Amino acid sequence: MHRSQKSASLPFIVWMVLFTIVPIILVIVYALQNGGGDFTLQNFVDFADPIYINVLLRSIGIALLCTAVCLLIGYPTAYFLTHKGLDKKGILILLFIIPMWMNFLVRTYAWLTLLESNGLITSTVNAIRHLFGAQDDVRLLYNYGAVLMGMVYNYLPFMILPLYTALDKMDKKVIEAAEDLGATKFQVFVKVVLPLSLPGIASGITMVFMPAVTTFVISRLLGGAQFKLFGDLIEQQFLFTGDWNFGSAMSLVMMALLLISMGLMNRFGDREGGGIL
Amino acid sequence: MSVVESEHLIDLVDLSKSYDGGETGALKNLNLYIRKKEFVTLLGPSGCGKTTTLRLIAGFETPTTGKVFFDGVDVTDVPPHKRRVNTVFQKYALFTHLNVYENIAFGLRLKKEPQNKVDAKVKQMLHLVGLNGFEKRRVDTLSGGQQQRVAIARALANEPEVLLLDEPLGALDLKLRKEMQVELKKMQQELGITFLYVTHDQEEALTMSDTIVVMKDGLVQQIGTPTDIYNEPKNAFVAAFIGESNILRGTMLKDELVNFDGHDFVCVDKGFGENKPVDVVIRPEDLKVSEPADGQITGVVQSVVFKGVHYEMMIASNGFVWKVHSTLCREVGDTVGLSVIPFDIHIMKPTLNETPKEA
Repeated sequence: MHRSQKSASLPFIVWMVLFTIVPIILVIVYALQNGGGDFTLQNFVDFADPIYINVLLRSIGIALLCTAVCLLIGYPTAYFLTHKGLDKKGILILLFIIPMWMNFLVRTYAWLTLLESNGLITSTVNAIRHLFGAQDDVRLLYNYGAVLMGMVYNYLPFMILPLYTALDKMDKKVIEAAEDLGATKFQVFVKVVLPLSLPGIASGITMVFMPAVTTFVISRLLGGAQFKLFGDLIEQQFLFTGDWNFGSAMSLVMMALLLISMGLMNRFGDREGGGIL
Repeated sequence: MSVVESEHLIDLVDLSKSYDGGETGALKNLNLYIRKKEFVTLLGPSGCGKTTTLRLIAGFETPTTGKVFFDGVDVTDVPPHKRRVNTVFQKYALFTHLNVYENIAFGLRLKKEPQNKVDAKVKQMLHLVGLNGFEKRRVDTLSGGQQQRVAIARALANEPEVLLLDEPLGALDLKLRKEMQVELKKMQQELGITFLYVTHDQEEALTMSDTIVVMKDGLVQQIGTPTDIYNEPKNAFVAAFIGESNILRGTMLKDELVNFDGHDFVCVDKGFGENKPVDVVIRPEDLKVSEPADGQITGVVQSVVFKGVHYEMMIASNGFVWKVHSTLCREVGDTVGLSVIPFDIHIMKPTLNETPKEA
């Protein structure tokens, strides 16, 4: 029994060692070496430069903003989806899931076409502006807003689904019990629904924040070459500059960041495994 | 509309509720009043409309037609949080994000009661349900019985005039259920408030209630005290649902004389006319087992099961198999006599084309 269980998990263990543990060790080893292969902490000292710190802060900032927007849009949406009187609930949920089946690059390119100068959205907006007497054209692409929008669009389903799961499995009798004890609809939400959905919120925040803070392609496509996020910097070190040691050091910083945010979120999420994580 | 008689606490007038999904739980033209300090039980099989009735009183549902009066005031359109009733739910519906103390204090906090009053009330409620010292416990660490006690305490902390209980003991094991039955009855008497209790368990209803309302398919079958309902069931359904019974077709020959199972029996019922088909109900414990010569009818013992207090025997006579409860034991295959006194023969109008289900 015991032995067969062990051998059954062997492929997974081999996979994990080869493609997760060994690479992580390599990243750590690279990060602690200079180009000549000698042990050094110089990579981390270099990283302390304001140029890099600012990009890191910008990444954290836009990821937090993206997470907040996703939560603000996602919570009411998930709440609406769990409404018991809702017809064709399955189809609506499917509409939120279908985009997740497509590669995010494809979806981001789609936004590129919509937002470029001759794109559908930009030309529509400009046409309306001209109607009201405006002379100039607006540019919707290659700015902070475009990157934020692209991120929200890509990561919104990851917010909605755990929230939907948490709200949907909530015992509806609990809501009735609160009303029965004298709570208005608003009080029911604040005192019962919201606290009971906290694990779902924590899970949603984690699922959006983590990929958002490591984003790199969306920022380049929708933000332009000048708009750099932390993920872009790491990519640059490996693919263009060729400084694997410095790139590894930055990757370690990012991993530390992710572990910290995961640890924070698990403090809310651990009860009854409310979400997906 | 005039004020409905004041002694009544709750009046349900011509209450109907239909659902798109079908007949289950629907209610047809219910008229019912509930007095102050009364323990009323709505009893019936699942889908009979008893829970719907409770939810209409709590305000979770709006009736299709009809009105709900509370102390003579029409509350049909009043939302649940403004009604002076509180509910104990079947699966407790406790707030798992709050501890025992905050669960019980939930209603008091909404009323913005001062902290010292909340403290005192929670303590009193915990004492009432026998959970002293459980204040800080998380509700999901409690057993089913303890959770149910918290649910009761939470509902009672609001000092409702009516406590609605929706099959509150359904999820508990038999021994615990029996203990809770006694405790609930005691609480109701001590607090002096009205309990409206929903159950499908006839024994539970008989043990606790002042008044039992037997329901089936959204219609009230009989309203009465436990003794009335047991001894004088109005129809074969009530007879079959409450306790055990032998139900068979008979013919009312004339007043106080009925024929069934091939024999004429003297009975106490009259007014059914002459030579009219009727349903005859006899409780298993009302049949007396004797020597064949001493019985009104004779039969052969088909099976004997020891039930603790008595033996349950199936005895086949001319065309019917009688269920008999007796402290005397006979062997399978014995021929025995059966007799019943006129008072224990219950005659009722026949229920057409349906055989009552055994409860």
